[in-house]
Amino acid sequence: MVSGILTGLALFAIHISRAPSYLSDKPETCTNCHIMAPQYATWSHSSHREWTHCNDCHVPHNNVINKYYFKAADGLRHATIFTLRREPQVIRIRHAGIGVVQENCIRCHDQILHGFKYLAGESIQHREATERLCWDCHREVPHGRVNSLTSTPWARVPLPESPVPEWLRSFTGK
Amino acid sequence: MYRMTTIREKVEKKPWLGWLLFAVTVIVVFLLGLLASSIIERRAEALFAYTPRVELSEFEPRNAEWGKNFPREYQSYLQTTDTSFRSKYNGSAWIDMLEVDPRMVVLWAGYSFSKDYNQARGHAYAIEDIRQILRTGGPAGPDDGPMPNTCWSCKGPDVPRVMAEVGVAEFYSGTWASRGEEIVNPIGCADCHDPETMNLRITRPALIEAFERMGKDVTKASHQEMRSLVCAQCHVEYYFKGAGNYLTHPWDNGFKAEEMEAYYDQAQFSDWIHSMSRAPMLKAQHPGYEIYMTGIHADRGVSCADCHMPYTSEGGMKFTDHHVRSPLDNVANSCQVCHREETEKLIANVYQRQDQIIENRDQLERLLVRAHTEAQKAWELGATEDEMKEILTAIRHAQWRWDYAAASHGASFHSPVEVSRTIATAIDIIQEGRIRLARLLLNRGFTAEVPYPDITTKAQAQQFIGLDMDALNAAKALFLQTLVPVWDSIAAERHASWDR
Repeated sequence: MVSGILTGLALFAIHISRAPSYLSDKPETCTNCHIMAPQYATWSHSSHREWTHCNDCHVPHNNVINKYYFKAADGLRHATIFTLRREPQVIRIRHAGIGVVQENCIRCHDQILHGFKYLAGESIQHREATERLCWDCHREVPHGRVNSLTSTPWARVPLPESPVPEWLRSFTGK
Repeated sequence: MYRMTTIREKVEKKPWLGWLLFAVTVIVVFLLGLLASSIIERRAEALFAYTPRVELSEFEPRNAEWGKNFPREYQSYLQTTDTSFRSKYNGSAWIDMLEVDPRMVVLWAGYSFSKDYNQARGHAYAIEDIRQILRTGGPAGPDDGPMPNTCWSCKGPDVPRVMAEVGVAEFYSGTWASRGEEIVNPIGCADCHDPETMNLRITRPALIEAFERMGKDVTKASHQEMRSLVCAQCHVEYYFKGAGNYLTHPWDNGFKAEEMEAYYDQAQFSDWIHSMSRAPMLKAQHPGYEIYMTGIHADRGVSCADCHMPYTSEGGMKFTDHHVRSPLDNVANSCQVCHREETEKLIANVYQRQDQIIENRDQLERLLVRAHTEAQKAWELGATEDEMKEILTAIRHAQWRWDYAAASHGASFHSPVEVSRTIATAIDIIQEGRIRLARLLLNRGFTAEVPYPDITTKAQAQQFIGLDMDALNAAKALFLQTLVPVWDSIAAERHASWDR
């Protein structure tokens, strides 16, 4: 009986937190936590919307195992902070994430770094481009400069629907 | 043989173990429950943190209601009440254009634009200003006054609301005063936005119909195109078609002056007969969108909103500045997003275009005034309809092209090359017409110069064409004192009934 309660509760937690969605690459997954709404809204108003999802930039793509390992580690930290209500008002990328995003910039924009015209003669271009972060200069790409929790009021973001079932809402009239 | 002891047996030996197991289970279930309820709580938070405060109905015309959900956009919109900006030729305050340029009074003789014509104020003044302007007259009751209901079409978000209630053709019918109590909220949110998604939307049927006739589906427009098309609902050339005064854009042949002129000629339409030359005239309204479409900025995909409502930021928030205004009042956020020049330099570039174009436009105006007075003289000397026909057509075409360039206030910046070209063709047309006139006057034995009228002030010009300004002003004052307060109180009652 005890194990039944535990399993049931655990399954409920998995269901209500939409845990299975974390296996996917959908950007809607990231807004399972509503505090990601500004990140979603700014991305969906940027040119990167046309080509990339959150995961294209924010998890490594060198191999599948590394991808899910990083995703799990990052996700668990996010979940912990969110559950403990320790999220900051302005969310900033951390050290591990910086490396991953930089790698992913280069993954797609490889030609900008290694095109013929940059390899000819001076290597300053190449050195500058690899020793600095892309967004040291491209500061607005793609989320804008500052993203506080309140920076995109009423943005149209696919947030999870109310956890209160329909029948109960109609009963309470809310 | 070793046998696994069951939990039951262990607990029988050591009872405290049972209590420990019970306590651990209680704690784990408690914590798991806490986690589950925390997840539910934080999911529910999203509904409160990111759901707008007010539910808006499809045609909510009160801008302040939208403002409860979108305070930044609304507050910037409210700044369209600011009248302090003045550029070289235009600005955000009323400018009495007839005083600035009394020649216009003569050009519009016999038409209500000769009574009153101002550089417009911001969107928030749309209702106040259409009530004030002498062109709408001083109606004493719902069926009185010179103008039809079509004149309300662009004045605010009550228009799509009433159109949805009574139908489009029915909306246009009747005199302007008959819907005064309905159309009370100035141009605002619902004119351009869908209340459900906040997407841009077209609320004026005339634009959709005009695009249909050109074989284009306006609902397929991209977001960037919509950032101009919502403006094109009003900042365009139009006429009132047929007895029902059906609002129509004359774009079947294209956006250029000649193309619309051909449309009007084919339809044998004229706005009025000039009281001096008796020419069947056309009045250009404000072909802002059409002229902009012939210019370099449109060619590069820049929309109206990119310059007139650029992005702005407040704290960490980036949003569209709804203080719709001249980019010259906000060069940093408009021009300088693309052009890396000093503000003074950019403004000087705009003024240069305006100066150079107005030089020829003024010349054209003088020729048009002369043509009207000379034609009047020809009629006095007994010219026949047949003799005057081509002369009057020249006056009609030349003045239409002048108006096309003059009435679209930003024309000389939006498309300087096209506007210069249009003015040049008009100068040619009117001079050809005046050569015919000169020949006609000579045939009638008149060899002197027809004197250029003394119209250095608006009052002189209005007296010259025979307007009784005192009577017009008195009727307007009475209307503002008596009928307008009735309209406002009926509207206030209607608004209150929605909130009940």
